[in-house]
Amino acid sequence: MFANVINWIDQRFPLTSFVKHELTGYPTPRNLSYWWNFGFLAGLVLVLQVATGIFLAMHYKADAATAFDSIQHIMRDVNYGWLLRYMHAVGASAFFFVIFVHMARTLYYGSYRAPRELLWWTGQGLLLLLMATAFMGYLLPWGQMSFWGATVITNLFRATPFIGDDVVIWLRGDFTVGDATLTRFFALHYLFPFLIIGAVVIHLVALHTVKSSNPSGIDLAHKDNIPFHPYFTAKDFYGLGIFLIVYSVFVFFMPDSLIEPANNIPANPMQTPNHIVPEWYFLPFYAILRSVPNMVGGVVAMGLSVMMFAFMPFLDRSRIPGGAHYRPIFKLQFYLFMIDMLVLGWVGYVPQTSSTTIIGQIATLCYFGSFFLIPFISRVEERWLIKRGLPQEVMTLIDKEKKEIAERKLKNSQRKGGKA
Amino acid sequence: MGNEMVSDGDRRDFLIKLTSVVGGAGVAATCVPFVASMNPSSDVLAKAETEVDLADITPGAMRTVAWQGKPVFILRRTPEQIQSVSASNGVLDPQPDNARVQNPEWLVVIGVCTHMGCVPNKEGPGWTCHCHGSQYDDSGRVVHGPAPKNLEVPPYKFLADNKLVIGRA
Amino acid sequence: MNTFLKMALLFGFSLHAVAHEAALEKVSVAKDVPSIERGAETLMGACHSCHSMKYIKYRDLIKFGMDKKKVNEWSGGQSLDLPLLAQMSENDAVLAFGKAPPDLSVMTKARDGGPRYVYSYLIGYYQTKDGLPGNHIYPETKMPDPLGIIGVTDEKQLSEIHGKARDIVSFLAWAADPREEERLRLGYYVLAYLFVLTVLLYFVKNQIWARLDRIS
Repeated sequence: MFANVINWIDQRFPLTSFVKHELTGYPTPRNLSYWWNFGFLAGLVLVLQVATGIFLAMHYKADAATAFDSIQHIMRDVNYGWLLRYMHAVGASAFFFVIFVHMARTLYYGSYRAPRELLWWTGQGLLLLLMATAFMGYLLPWGQMSFWGATVITNLFRATPFIGDDVVIWLRGDFTVGDATLTRFFALHYLFPFLIIGAVVIHLVALHTVKSSNPSGIDLAHKDNIPFHPYFTAKDFYGLGIFLIVYSVFVFFMPDSLIEPANNIPANPMQTPNHIVPEWYFLPFYAILRSVPNMVGGVVAMGLSVMMFAFMPFLDRSRIPGGAHYRPIFKLQFYLFMIDMLVLGWVGYVPQTSSTTIIGQIATLCYFGSFFLIPFISRVEERWLIKRGLPQEVMTLIDKEKKEIAERKLKNSQRKGGKA
Repeated sequence: MGNEMVSDGDRRDFLIKLTSVVGGAGVAATCVPFVASMNPSSDVLAKAETEVDLADITPGAMRTVAWQGKPVFILRRTPEQIQSVSASNGVLDPQPDNARVQNPEWLVVIGVCTHMGCVPNKEGPGWTCHCHGSQYDDSGRVVHGPAPKNLEVPPYKFLADNKLVIGRA
Repeated sequence: MNTFLKMALLFGFSLHAVAHEAALEKVSVAKDVPSIERGAETLMGACHSCHSMKYIKYRDLIKFGMDKKKVNEWSGGQSLDLPLLAQMSENDAVLAFGKAPPDLSVMTKARDGGPRYVYSYLIGYYQTKDGLPGNHIYPETKMPDPLGIIGVTDEKQLSEIHGKARDIVSFLAWAADPREEERLRLGYYVLAYLFVLTVLLYFVKNQIWARLDRIS
């Protein structure tokens, strides 16, 4: 019976071949570590956010007069409303945490390098969509932090050349952040997750074309690849269990730890809280914004700081595979970069003083500096490493790549010659 | 790649089945709060009862009150009206009048036509629903289709002679 | 401030954020009905004339387990479905104090330090050199000393006032998070379940991966 149904479907839709191609037969390097679990986790958090979000939207009111009340209504009156809201609020932080680890893994292992540039860039697009969604969602509770956060961020668009002020008013639909802003942010906050789902599909198509990278950085021989299902489904689900434990500790036992107290005060356009801070996941970028004394410069620097990751495939020209695995200098640089991010996060959090400003400016220079240094460091490091001697497998790989490039060049010139 | 599956015997099958069942139960349990969140919230439930003061309804007059968002007809019937409805058991959905009231003087029915949910109008003796022409008598019993059932009697209770609470039995 | 970040900062390198909290008095928030009911009673007497708690209805108090008679008294015979609105209108309050008294429903969640802040604030009144009332925690406050702590030196009387402040804070903490008990209870079940599931998933993963060793 079951076989008949499958057969009926297969004649009309490539179900079996799809499952075989993408799951039971999808070749995955067997040496993937647990750092490779985070893509799956991000997908799962996305599902959780969409599910809780849709059910919250059934009770939420996107109206400046009632938005704050409706959140309290959800927290107090709606059956399990508190659970849905805390899941959604903690889920936002979880999403960024998982994505940041996912990105850090890509940077550490050099997974952005050829042929995975498009995969990396679709991921960069996903990061931007996620940031926009999170930012708009943060306005919805209509607390003091919501209001002033949205005010500050929409004001960034004043940096637009010539029409800055008009753009800001257009974004808000009002002269300040107001009812019109809230309603449109709600509409877009509901829309964007579906754009994210679309972008995730593109991300996965790209992944399944180029396949996963792996810790060694060397494309594995046929025999070292194993089917995704059941091996990595089992591993991903185990990782999911661990993730859900941590997530639940936050949802049930410390849900308010990630919510700024000031956001429990209804939005008041007449009074700014003494200390406004963005959510933790925006802190490093916010610190970069504050470190540049010029307004337009700050906005550009902040935008660039997010976009810098997209340049990695161009910046890192080292042919040594395995990311930081075989590259001691790159590894050191990676860890320094992580520390720099933490410093920036701290600078973004504390109230600005002259000393934190200087620390922030130094950290900002280090942030961009580390990207600009990569091309030089990777060249020097590669020369040094080859001279020092690399493991045999890596040398073979580099030789192979060299040969391939030479062959391609030869072919190209022959084709051109033929045409001429 | 292309490894043949090797069976690990019953122990493995049992472990995987057990885990699947436990995991499936968790997914099912997770659905509960989502589904429950769509049920009426506690502030809506708190309004599930409506108190009505009957003092200013004169004999023969009708008052419509809202209960859980639905109209409830409260008809103070005259002795003649009571006599005429007690004479029959209705037509399409036979039921004696005394089974439909706690106190014959007061008829309390939900004013929602049992056909398609319109609100019937008080016309002459009984009610007429203008959506599809159903007619009810002064006991709220259907006397002319297409409505299949009599008007529903909500749970209610007399708190005093002239005080009624709808929604509490 | 944001507790989680504070922890992160503690592990990290900042002492700044912690310094502010060090100035706050410690208070253990009571979760039992009698304490919270006492807190409600004090609040109805000392705060409710100016401060509303619009997200709490009288019915919620009874549902929580408070004495029905007392709640009826507080509501002044009004419907129990009404929220705990202040007796004074906001306009009158602004005229009298120059500032609208904030709603107290989520007060313990709306200040850095939470219940500790509110407690320290309530007992933080003192007499300034000019003979005016001042407050250590919130110097710009317009609220007159609600518990009458200024000038009290008697130990017994002081500890009585501290007890009152603690009860009020306990009531406010309950009001800000009435679903806390339900949340914690569900949380233990969820964690226990997830722990079992994760252990099972770990064994499943190991067994499935063990096939690889046998093949290759």
